[in-house]
Amino acid sequence: MAAFDLEEQEQISQIKGWWEQFGTLVTGAAVAAALASVGWQGWQWYQGKQTAEASALYAVLQKAASEKNTQKSREAAGALIEKYNGTAYADMAALLSAKVQAEAGDLKNARVPLAWAATKASDPALRELARLRLATVMFDDKAYDEALAQLQAPTDESLVARFADLKGDILLAQGKREEARAAYKAVVTALETTTKSESAALREIAQAKLDAVGGAQ
Amino acid sequence: MFDAVRNNKKVVQVFLVMITLPFAFFGVESYVKNAGNSDGVATVGGTAIQMGEFQQALREQQERMRGALGASFNPAMMDTPETRRAVLENLVNQRLLALDAQKMRLSVSDASLRDTIAAIPAFQENGHFSLPRYEAVLKAQGMTQAVFEGRLRHDLALQQVLGAVAEGVLVPQSSVDQVYSVQLEERTVSEVRLPAAQFAAGVKLAEDAARKFYDTERKRFEMPAQLKAEYVVLSKDAVANQLSVADADVRKEYDAHPERFSQGEERRASHILIQADKGAGDAALKAAREKAEALLKQLTAKPDDFARLARENSQDPGSAEKGGDLGFFARGAMVKEFEEAAFGLKNEGETSGVVQSDFGFHIIRLTGVKASKSRPFDEVKGEIAAELKRNEAAKKFAELVESFTNTVYEQADSLKPAAEKFKLAVQATDWIAGDGKAPAPFNNEKLIGELFSDEALKNKRNTSAVDVGNGTLVAARVLEHKPAALRPFEEVKPVIEKALGNEEAVKLAEQDGEGKLAKLAKGEAVDLAWSPARAIARSEQGLPPEVLRAIFRASTEKLPAYAGVKVPGAGYALYRIEKVNRPVAKADDPRRAAIKQQYARVLAEQDFGAYIAALRKRHDVKVNYALLDEQKDK
Repeated sequence: MAAFDLEEQEQISQIKGWWEQFGTLVTGAAVAAALASVGWQGWQWYQGKQTAEASALYAVLQKAASEKNTQKSREAAGALIEKYNGTAYADMAALLSAKVQAEAGDLKNARVPLAWAATKASDPALRELARLRLATVMFDDKAYDEALAQLQAPTDESLVARFADLKGDILLAQGKREEARAAYKAVVTALETTTKSESAALREIAQAKLDAVGGAQ
Repeated sequence: MFDAVRNNKKVVQVFLVMITLPFAFFGVESYVKNAGNSDGVATVGGTAIQMGEFQQALREQQERMRGALGASFNPAMMDTPETRRAVLENLVNQRLLALDAQKMRLSVSDASLRDTIAAIPAFQENGHFSLPRYEAVLKAQGMTQAVFEGRLRHDLALQQVLGAVAEGVLVPQSSVDQVYSVQLEERTVSEVRLPAAQFAAGVKLAEDAARKFYDTERKRFEMPAQLKAEYVVLSKDAVANQLSVADADVRKEYDAHPERFSQGEERRASHILIQADKGAGDAALKAAREKAEALLKQLTAKPDDFARLARENSQDPGSAEKGGDLGFFARGAMVKEFEEAAFGLKNEGETSGVVQSDFGFHIIRLTGVKASKSRPFDEVKGEIAAELKRNEAAKKFAELVESFTNTVYEQADSLKPAAEKFKLAVQATDWIAGDGKAPAPFNNEKLIGELFSDEALKNKRNTSAVDVGNGTLVAARVLEHKPAALRPFEEVKPVIEKALGNEEAVKLAEQDGEGKLAKLAKGEAVDLAWSPARAIARSEQGLPPEVLRAIFRASTEKLPAYAGVKVPGAGYALYRIEKVNRPVAKADDPRRAAIKQQYARVLAEQDFGAYIAALRKRHDVKVNYALLDEQKDK
């Protein structure tokens, strides 16, 4: 102790005092931080592993889809939705598998993944698309009221035109010309000022449909 | 300051611990990752799109347009603010997708990557993936394997999203039927035209109408400043034409580089191939070698059977049907082992042993030799002389540039000294303006700028020697000059009056047409000379779009229906719609399939656009418009 002068000794005792008062707290905080960090890294690792497995399964689905193999697509998408929901792959698989089923004319099996994705997909943007496509399948299935119910709630503004276009088609199929006309008009209005060529194309198509149900007046 | 530290030691100690602790768990990189990311032309979710990246994309877009448009391509058209914005928009979208793929941890397994690469035809030989070929193709593109595979991995990850979002689009069957019926709709129509000329007699222009127009629209009657100039051109070609080359020098060049004036040896061979990848495994290799050796034995017994054996056994589908013939080839065209064997055979008709290459086992027969031969001196004399002149001219031109520049500058009131000194002709232009439309070289901005400067116009001085590209220097001086001027009123008065009169007549025609249309719509009789009716489709090519729009937008709840349309500058036209025909799609109609495909694409693009819009909300996108537009005047 002789190596320390008075001032230093005083400081040492100060530090000791401080440590007695706050030592447990500091140690506790450090341990908690360390645990949280380890936990975080572990969670990251787990997530990485989950998505890597999901990715491999999605590759199987992509292949099956390109071969138009409905059975295999259904199985791969089913496994993704069951075991890997929460990953983006489950959402994407639902959309892709539904396409394969619907193209093959199997509307019942096209509905299943879409119904799941429309409410449970983790990506809200994909949820909206799933809802739109679910309504499409229901429309093909002649379940008009069910389909319109899917299109009810207000949606992402970039999909307003898409929703209204489909709504118009369904209403027209029900023989409701006036309401269909209003829906088509909504498409044209929503895309009035667009500068994108793909949106302009949809506007032209909706305009033609509008003309055919009696025009804008 | 140290006192402050000493007095607050405790605070400082705690503070130090707080800074040190995180490094124990997170490493340093997260602190420096975002450094140096500022000053981009846009930032997307905290990452910058740098100016260089943007310009690269703009150049690529220009190249694509050049390829698509060919000779009608105009680079100025490509540098509009709209194109710049569209190109940036595209880059932002790509970045958004990449960020999102990262966030969602989209990944591509090594196995998928391998399968994809193996399936790319450019990397295949004889229908199989070939590693040497893969390496060669990438090398030719100036890419390393790591870079290519990284890009491909990225593309495949985006493909996963696209597959679900865009390609996964569903199109209702009855919507297709409906689009089919409205797009192929035909309306049977008669027409009456009310041309403006019919109303010309009714037009009364005010006395001072032309004068007023002239006063308010002065700009239209301005003529730009013009000038006539004389000029001299010093170019590499001009210098080369003044040079002559001695025959002896040409001969010397010919003798010094015989390899440049000869064609290498070419050989023709046939082969029988038994395929076996070098990595195929010992058993497969052994089996293939044994098969090849058995064939060789048959050949030794019956040498004339080569063609037949090749046809029956060779696994090189290209040559097998031709009896194994590969035609003539020079060194460098074939794999190394094959080349060595083929060029090692001495006489035509000689057959090699079994030769192993990357493809498998070959038996090779030499069937022709074209010895290397020199091109005769007389044939290449002209070429060599031109090349020597070109080289000499380039050297001489570099020497002349400075003295030419000095001469036109020092004797600034005439071009003659320069013309005489460098043996150049003084040429003269017709009237030219500074609008960039003058013939070359006066479309060069710098040259025309100097000609229209006070120095050249008022002081009658030479311009400097301007480099107009392609190793060409031009110096010019003004001969005559007409300043910008307004065309006198009397000269343009008849033109103005005619235009105003027509405008007035068009208005009258429109009023008359609209009045008649209103009457027709009410069902009143109007005496009009309707044209014979004819069926018009929505996609009719012969009619202006505004006419088609008027005809097809008219409500046809009641027939006949009427439509009217202003024909810009010409008058008005009335249409009577007598019949509407909306065809019903048959399931197997190829037009229905085409319409379905087209409609599906439109919907897919909408869905994809909505997805991108959602991403835009998720990641902050900022565009530095000032920087984007400022770069235009680089």
